[in-house]
Amino acid sequence: MTALAVSSAEVQQPGAVQRNLGFVAAAILAIFWLAPLAILAMNAVKTPAEYLMTSNLAPPTTFNLLPNIEHAWAKGLSGGFINSLLYGLVGSAGAVGLASLAAFGIVRLKIPRGLFWFLLIYSGTIWPFQMYLIPLFNAYLQTGIYDTKVGMIGFYIAICIPFCTFVMRGFFLTVPWEIQEAAYVDGAGSWTVFWSIMFPMARAPMILLLLIQFTWIWNDLLFGLVLSKSETVRPVMVALVGMQGVYGAQDAPSVIAATLICSAPTLILFLFLQRYFVRGLTLGVGGGR
Amino acid sequence: MTDATTTPQTMSTARPEARSNVRLIQRVEPYLYVLPAAIFVVAFLLYPMVLTLIRSFTHDDGITAPEFVGLQNFVDLFNDPHFLLSLKNTLIWTIAAVVLPVTLGLVFALTLDGVRWSGLFKSVIYLPATVSAAAVGIIFSFIFGYENGALNALLNIFGIHSIRWLFEAPINTYSMIGAYTWQSTGLNMMLFLVGLQGLPREPIEAARLDGCSGFGLAWRIIIPMLMPYVVIATLLAVINGFKVFDQIWVMTQGGPGRSSETLAVTMYREGFVLFNQGYSAAIAVIIALAALIFSYFYLRSVLDQERQI
Repeated sequence: MTALAVSSAEVQQPGAVQRNLGFVAAAILAIFWLAPLAILAMNAVKTPAEYLMTSNLAPPTTFNLLPNIEHAWAKGLSGGFINSLLYGLVGSAGAVGLASLAAFGIVRLKIPRGLFWFLLIYSGTIWPFQMYLIPLFNAYLQTGIYDTKVGMIGFYIAICIPFCTFVMRGFFLTVPWEIQEAAYVDGAGSWTVFWSIMFPMARAPMILLLLIQFTWIWNDLLFGLVLSKSETVRPVMVALVGMQGVYGAQDAPSVIAATLICSAPTLILFLFLQRYFVRGLTLGVGGGR
Repeated sequence: MTDATTTPQTMSTARPEARSNVRLIQRVEPYLYVLPAAIFVVAFLLYPMVLTLIRSFTHDDGITAPEFVGLQNFVDLFNDPHFLLSLKNTLIWTIAAVVLPVTLGLVFALTLDGVRWSGLFKSVIYLPATVSAAAVGIIFSFIFGYENGALNALLNIFGIHSIRWLFEAPINTYSMIGAYTWQSTGLNMMLFLVGLQGLPREPIEAARLDGCSGFGLAWRIIIPMLMPYVVIATLLAVINGFKVFDQIWVMTQGGPGRSSETLAVTMYREGFVLFNQGYSAAIAVIIALAALIFSYFYLRSVLDQERQI
């Protein structure tokens, strides 16, 4: 009896030590990983004068966060923030809507040469963004949608469609055919099948896609730089980078506060909806947009 | 009961032309669903892509009419020291983007898997991935700052002189890669955690009973089984590392001079600052070729993996 107890303790002990070691290692990693954000937060509350006189590592002696945020907001962030909210919401919703329709048409209505249509749309994810930039810029200038909100939204919808179509196609392939056949027998048209039957069922993948695409649009810098220039149109990241260029040296705390504000929406989305993000990862195996 | 089945029949026997109308609608219908998305993709993505390809064979400064020059742009590129340096930087970026975030992601996944509070730790490591590359660039511009940046302050504590992290090549490239690693490790870690969850438990338990544990267990048993995920993560890292733009544009704009440019930055500078549109398009085509090759292998290994599951 006692021998048994001893031996089981012997077996358990190294495991316990290892588990504690693992915990300590993980905690150190996490603290190290959080350090840049912690330093940033510390410096967002300093006054510009204090920032210039102390090192970034020195804890703040003043609390100037609200005036810093006010400065950042007034110095051009407000426009970008509201623009990007609009682009993110309309762009992601538009893309998810159009992609769902397309995937429905390809999978459920069995459009002739369905694979061709799917690959045509999906091929939009293969090309690096650099392949689009110059002709888009020229065409936007020629058609007069350069530096307009319509132009920005149109592009964001287009760039988000391919990945959404990929995911929605995957979803529609899993829906049982009996449901659709039963609806047809009852005299329902294809639109009724899509709107009243498929749409409510597809809520989970759609929310996931809205999340991913909103984050992508919100974080975009490159296309904002190329397709817009005025404060009333440019998205939030372009506004932020512009601020750093102009005020980075003399009013660093405001720029740091601005960085925090611009990162807040996607950070909050992630913290509240983590589970969906992780599921999204397994969906597209990290699929970009 | 019989109502539903008989109505279409009576309709079709009574009015043949109505039936052919229904058929026509049924044939046209799918296109109404698919075409809007297809038109968006063709107009905003595929059509510009084709134009870039054509433009890469022309001399085009955006002012005079473009002129067909064949492969001249590509020949010029490989004689252009700016481009060659940019290509070298891109290769450094790509290699580093594979080695650092993928290796760290794997190490972190193995460390965090099954540890107490692992959910919290995973979220912390993944957090930077939700921040934009532009914001990461700004965060690290301050941390790498020369005058009172956090990193130099830390060095000064140990009596080491301040370093010009972002204003000298090649150290600025390494600094930016450090920031990139901070952001992209989380994604790789999540990918490996997904892989770890799918592993069969029996071989691992068997190895444990044989006295295999810790590093040995990871190196001999777990990592070989994770190999498909390592391949996927590596290819993804190559594709992303090849296209890095935002962070470099924010942190150094490719400077000082043009010393820290990568292909994506060189392409932007040639096209939108110097207005050599044909030349810039040729760089875009080179980026696309590289991305295509690796995307092909990436998609193939993802599909293989999905087939196994």
